[in-house]
Amino acid sequence: MGVLVGPRVIDAGMSLLSVLISPVPVAAGYPSPAQDYFDGRIDLNEHLIKDITSTYVVRVSGDSMEGAGISDGDELIVNRALEPKDGSVVIAVLDGELTIKRLRVTGTGVVLQAENPAYPDIRVPSVSDLVIWGVATRCLHHV
Amino acid sequence: MSKPAPIRRMPQIAHVDVNCFYASAERAFDPALEGRPVVVLSNNDGCAVTRSPEAKALGIPLGEPWFKLAPRAKEWGLVALSSNYELYGDISARVMELLGRYSAWLEVYSIDEAFLGVKGAPDELLALGWTMKSAVRRHVGVPVCVGIAGTKTLAKLANKWAKNNPAFEGVCHWDSVPAAAREALMGSLSVVEIWGVAARLTRRLNVLGIHSILELSRADPVMIRDRFSVVMMRTVLELQGTPCIPMEEERIGRDQLIFSRSFANPITTAAAMRQVLSVYGQQASARLAKHGLQAKVLTAFAGTSHFNPKETSYPSACVRLPVPTADPVVLTKAAHALLPRIHEGVRYARAGIMVTDLRPTGNQAPLAVFENPHEERHIGTLLEDVTRRYGRGSIGLGHAGIRGGPDWTMKRDMLSPRYTTHWDELPLVKAA
Repeated sequence: MGVLVGPRVIDAGMSLLSVLISPVPVAAGYPSPAQDYFDGRIDLNEHLIKDITSTYVVRVSGDSMEGAGISDGDELIVNRALEPKDGSVVIAVLDGELTIKRLRVTGTGVVLQAENPAYPDIRVPSVSDLVIWGVATRCLHHV
Repeated sequence: MSKPAPIRRMPQIAHVDVNCFYASAERAFDPALEGRPVVVLSNNDGCAVTRSPEAKALGIPLGEPWFKLAPRAKEWGLVALSSNYELYGDISARVMELLGRYSAWLEVYSIDEAFLGVKGAPDELLALGWTMKSAVRRHVGVPVCVGIAGTKTLAKLANKWAKNNPAFEGVCHWDSVPAAAREALMGSLSVVEIWGVAARLTRRLNVLGIHSILELSRADPVMIRDRFSVVMMRTVLELQGTPCIPMEEERIGRDQLIFSRSFANPITTAAAMRQVLSVYGQQASARLAKHGLQAKVLTAFAGTSHFNPKETSYPSACVRLPVPTADPVVLTKAAHALLPRIHEGVRYARAGIMVTDLRPTGNQAPLAVFENPHEERHIGTLLEDVTRRYGRGSIGLGHAGIRGGPDWTMKRDMLSPRYTTHWDELPLVKAA
């Protein structure tokens, strides 16, 4: 049958990871009223995706964000609708490419930083000089 | 409800559509395409079905065959892409779901356009237009234009105006434009430019002295009905400001087929929604078969009742079909992908399905016929085992199986990644 795609493909992929967790330890002879609220598996969509219309998954290529715990090959959950702030991990468009950086907004200007000393900072006068594609909200790091 | 009526404003209709939809969807994930001429090619990489503004500026006509463009592509810096229907289906679903948040009444009209019921003072309507435009840009990354007017026909015209005249910056509220300017516009456009007037009727209208949209708007609706049809009369009435084009339940576009309707009584359970979607699946199947077509991508959607703006919800799901098909069982099962997103108790007032990525059935028909019964008889598993052991093409069902499915024969050399629907084709972000 057709594989679910669109916003729901994440669902299909993640159902494999779903964990059946009972909210309380089951003790014989003590029926817990809380168990009435048990509603099945943890739904990662619900916890990781705040807005399904603006959330995308991207894959990291490179090691410039190692210091932030974001490694080559990791997947990032990105919300395109979020307002980037000082400290946000952003996907910026640099030379026509989607590039991941840490955004620093200071009194003296705006800096796109790598989290790896091997890569230089990129300075611009203000955020409006940047095209920010989205703000990363989670990293699915391969352990 | 017998509350004292405050100042009532006539409800208006907003028509929202994505600019150069396929090209814009590609750009949303590949910023390098920004500013470059881009064309998206039809199935089999045949001809240009979508052109970015830069490609239009090069004078590339719509429908231009790729073999004519290819020799000059390099010199132009032209980027040609195969139709990535899975990407477009998902982007469409996101746009529609987002638009549903701004109106309790939304009619998905095609893969890239929708009508919404809106209310308010002119400045409020304009503000709503801007809000929707920037929200779609921020959430989905594609540009839209908005036309707002008293009727669907005028809303579409306003949208076209907003697209073609930069002064509007993408949002046109018809009634806010001075009447003289509106008449000048309608006077300058041929009747063929208006939604609902078929090109073949132009000459018959011309004989009656009706050349421009303005002249059509001044025609006598009854005379038009008698000489043409009720459809044409509706267009005239709509141009005069009387809304009379109802929600259409079935539409066939250039490369898509849509079934949708609103319900007399809202649907509040997944079980009932399952039935509705099943009916659409079967209708779509019959319609595809009638036109000798098969579909590869299906989008199912639903929307809440506009009588209760409090629980606005427009869930949608986009499904890639395993093979191009017109099989009612496959289409119905695919449409059921929406069900997990249907909340019990919420009052859904409408639902629909849209099938895209259509291609002629041709001589691949036997494949679709055999697809499902064999699944149930475990022949699929057997085939897989043999294929794994002896390689692809070593075994198949009849000659269709051996020849390979249409997807292997379909030419899509310039297909971009299916960024949002395949885990192994996610957009890459550079960490360097």
